[in-house]
Amino acid sequence: MVNKRYLARRFLLMVVSLFTVATILFFLFRMVPGGPMSAIMSPRMTEAARQRVIENFGLNEPLWRQYLLYMWQLLHLNLGESFYYGQTVKGLIVDRFYNTMVLMLTAFLISYTIGIYLGAQLGWIRGTPKERAAMIVVLLMRSTPVFWTGMIVLYLFAFELNMFPLGGMRGVGAEYSSVSGKFLSVDFLYHLVLPVFTLTTFYTGLPLLLMRNNLLEVLSEDYIDTARAKGLTNRRILFRHAARNAVLPVVTAFAIAIGFAVGGQVLIETVFSWPGLGREMVKASLRSDYPVAQGAFLLLSTIVISMNFLADLAYTYLDPRVRLGGT
Amino acid sequence: MSGETSSPVQRGEGQPSQGWRRFVENLRNSVQEQAKIFVQSRMAVAGLAIIVFYVIVALVSPYIVPYGPEERIYTAAGEWAKLQPPSLAHPLGTTESAYDVLSQLLLGARIAMFVGLLGAFMVAIIGTTVGLVAGYYGGWIDEIVMRVVDILYGLPFIPFVIVLVTVLGASVWNIILGIALLYWLSTARVIRSEVLSLRERPYVEAAEAAGASDFRIMGVQILPNVIPLAALYAAIAVGYSIVAQASIAFLGFGDPTVPSWGVMLQRAFVTQSFGTAWWSVFPPGLSITLVVTGAYLVGRGYEEVVNPQLQEK
Amino acid sequence: MKQANANFDFDDDAPLLEAEDLTVSYSTSQGDLIAVDDVSFTVKEDEIFGLVGESGCGKSTVAQAILSLLPSNGMIPSGSIRFRGIELTELEKRELDSLRWENLALISQGAMNALNPVQRISTQIVEAIQAHREISKQDARERTRELFETVGLDPERMDDYPHQFSGGMKQRAYIAMSLALDPDLIIADEPTTALDVIVQDQILKRLKELRDELNISVVIISHDISVIAETCRRLGVMYSGKLMEYGDLRDIFANPYNPYTLGMQNAFPTLRGDQSDLISIPGSPPDIADLPDGCRFLARCPFATEECGQEHPPLQEVAEDHYSACYHHDRIDTMRTEAERRSTWNRVQDDGTAVGVEGADD
Repeated sequence: MVNKRYLARRFLLMVVSLFTVATILFFLFRMVPGGPMSAIMSPRMTEAARQRVIENFGLNEPLWRQYLLYMWQLLHLNLGESFYYGQTVKGLIVDRFYNTMVLMLTAFLISYTIGIYLGAQLGWIRGTPKERAAMIVVLLMRSTPVFWTGMIVLYLFAFELNMFPLGGMRGVGAEYSSVSGKFLSVDFLYHLVLPVFTLTTFYTGLPLLLMRNNLLEVLSEDYIDTARAKGLTNRRILFRHAARNAVLPVVTAFAIAIGFAVGGQVLIETVFSWPGLGREMVKASLRSDYPVAQGAFLLLSTIVISMNFLADLAYTYLDPRVRLGGT
Repeated sequence: MSGETSSPVQRGEGQPSQGWRRFVENLRNSVQEQAKIFVQSRMAVAGLAIIVFYVIVALVSPYIVPYGPEERIYTAAGEWAKLQPPSLAHPLGTTESAYDVLSQLLLGARIAMFVGLLGAFMVAIIGTTVGLVAGYYGGWIDEIVMRVVDILYGLPFIPFVIVLVTVLGASVWNIILGIALLYWLSTARVIRSEVLSLRERPYVEAAEAAGASDFRIMGVQILPNVIPLAALYAAIAVGYSIVAQASIAFLGFGDPTVPSWGVMLQRAFVTQSFGTAWWSVFPPGLSITLVVTGAYLVGRGYEEVVNPQLQEK
Repeated sequence: MKQANANFDFDDDAPLLEAEDLTVSYSTSQGDLIAVDDVSFTVKEDEIFGLVGESGCGKSTVAQAILSLLPSNGMIPSGSIRFRGIELTELEKRELDSLRWENLALISQGAMNALNPVQRISTQIVEAIQAHREISKQDARERTRELFETVGLDPERMDDYPHQFSGGMKQRAYIAMSLALDPDLIIADEPTTALDVIVQDQILKRLKELRDELNISVVIISHDISVIAETCRRLGVMYSGKLMEYGDLRDIFANPYNPYTLGMQNAFPTLRGDQSDLISIPGSPPDIADLPDGCRFLARCPFATEECGQEHPPLQEVAEDHYSACYHHDRIDTMRTEAERRSTWNRVQDDGTAVGVEGADD
């Protein structure tokens, strides 16, 4: 008996957001140096290719028609061709997409788990010297720019200690037979360690602090007194009652976190030369490969918006008051 | 999170000139009261000291730096003195472009503090205004504003600024534009919540009943009570803005003619010299960390003091 | 009915609950504030005992102290609380945990928020049961069904979430939960506040029935004297941390000995059916951070004299199972007559200082 109305509204929001982002991109990229044509036509294109593009995107037509054609192409997942690579943008970013997701989701999962657990513990032992020390560490972790941390980590563990590779996603000349083979190989995991480690230090701060704050609030609620009166162990009170309630807002904060997390992702991919969407977007922008830049941004934005919606779903499931509709 | 002052500033409505005077009065009282609360937190004062220190550095650095921003250092043989380790002449060594690290570091504070403070200011202004209007008017205005906020949340910050820079050019102002367009979202949400509860207060209802205009009520009754919260978010925004600028510069989209910590790190990374020349990497990164920590301490320290105050009263 | 508890050796001759010279304080930024001052009372088996007083008089603090559920800045500097002979203030958490709910249960103030909103009600009751008994979930759920019937709730709804229940239903569910392990004593802190009168009535009736059916003792804590009057056999009247009058309820109502009790009776319509005007006691209780010397009630008492300003009066036995703390028990007949008049209470000035001597000028 899920609260369908709420979910429908959030789904609608997701669709509208996607449209809006695409629209913003459309107008923004018309402002590139060289005019709107430069945004989709490579200087190196053949005449035939130019004609095709002019036709597809209606470059000689009034603005509103161009906009509609643009949207039409988007709906068919036609994102143009890369100026630099000469292959379709779609093919390119789909490949990079998986690389980004593996890194981002792994780091997110680890950091949220650690963050929530530690946040609960820290909230429970508030006021003790251990907690104060931990909070200072957390503060420092949040204040250091993530790319700098990445550089330090790279310097320490790769350059100096030679424990891990200097970057990239896999060793030179490595070949894989299948997608799962690629992502589960030791070589891959070996390359995954440092970037995930760095990203985790960056991501953990938010859920940790949120969880801690929420826990402190929850601990003053009446049902915690009830739990104590029932003679339950501290552990049980902390996790089954306090943490369970405190974690709900942390899930909604996921939405805000993702937006900033993607930024961190872009930076770390650059530092560790990880062939993901972020790095591709940076390189494309520096090379004025506009179709790729646009496509990469669109995909990144889609990731953020979808994650937001998933967070809404998760929250709906977790909070029975929302799930069943309030009295 | 806190937000409400202990004794809400309340005045009735009056003639227009009185309204402005009252607004200034309320504002001043509010600020004085908050300042008194502020100094009770050692964290907040320490953080403020750091920020003030860097502001001073930013202001005086062009006059005290040993070397100019684009002054190359040459060796005795007439070559670029690249990546020299720290020495007496160059306490922090030289960069791979043969600039003096210390000078670059001090000058970099200018752009950092500029972006940080301007960004925070804009976040505060835009976020507070939007939150105030949405929370006060409610109804469809609130709906529309909140949907816009929801949609804007879908734009990841750094990629968006990259797009702005790609399209509009690599200037500091485009980074600031990005901050102005996207950083105020959280602030607006929180301020709106606060305003929603504040507008139910008796003194607001009294002002409404007495026929005060919406503008007056928002400005005179509600705004002064929301300022502590806005200040808190502004403090945090200082840190975020500085990191944003450094990150964009690091990625290669910064203005190469302006010395900044982000550019210093970008050079160190791109030339892979960070592996060997730690002195080009640690100082700028530490500076960023320090300033952001200072800003955060200001915000957090202040909040910690305001919260127990609320609980006791 | 008295439960045995494997961890404890109960003294069968001791009273069920006995507080002796109990003092509870809170440490705050303004120093240590005494919320309960030297309070002694006894609760017997099979009895409903009431603690009544204005808000802030310390009655809830007593409830929390008994179960050691004081907030972190609360402590018991002196005095003792004995449950069937066991000194509660000296127990460790583990030992307390085995007593909690098994022998001593709590119905806290505002069951609205005392149930975990994200857990089903059945889950919470089963949890309470399984925390103390080796029992399968199946059996625990069966017991939960029984409990629901006992309090008059539909067992079909036991898997609902708290927000799906009305206020009265939530309170019943909470009572059901507190009965789960057949405790010897239930402490009900404001069990019917925030409920409408009809539901209030039903719940109080049920509590009395449960006392008869299950031989449970209940301590009811309330600021509403009508609730106390309807259910309790013995009571204690608290004011500003002190016990002012204590003993058999009927005797206290028929022959009150304490000026505060006299004032309280005036303020409640249900006890004086024929009187249409309520007389309230002017003023308010003293600031806990700045307690006066002498009787706590001095500032608001129309009968106070200089003698009352030295020290707070001790509890004295004025009849069988009837104690009162006042220096003027000898003048009680005059006081009772005068208390019925509004002008008596108006003698207390606005700034809280008493005018003092009762005289024959009325």
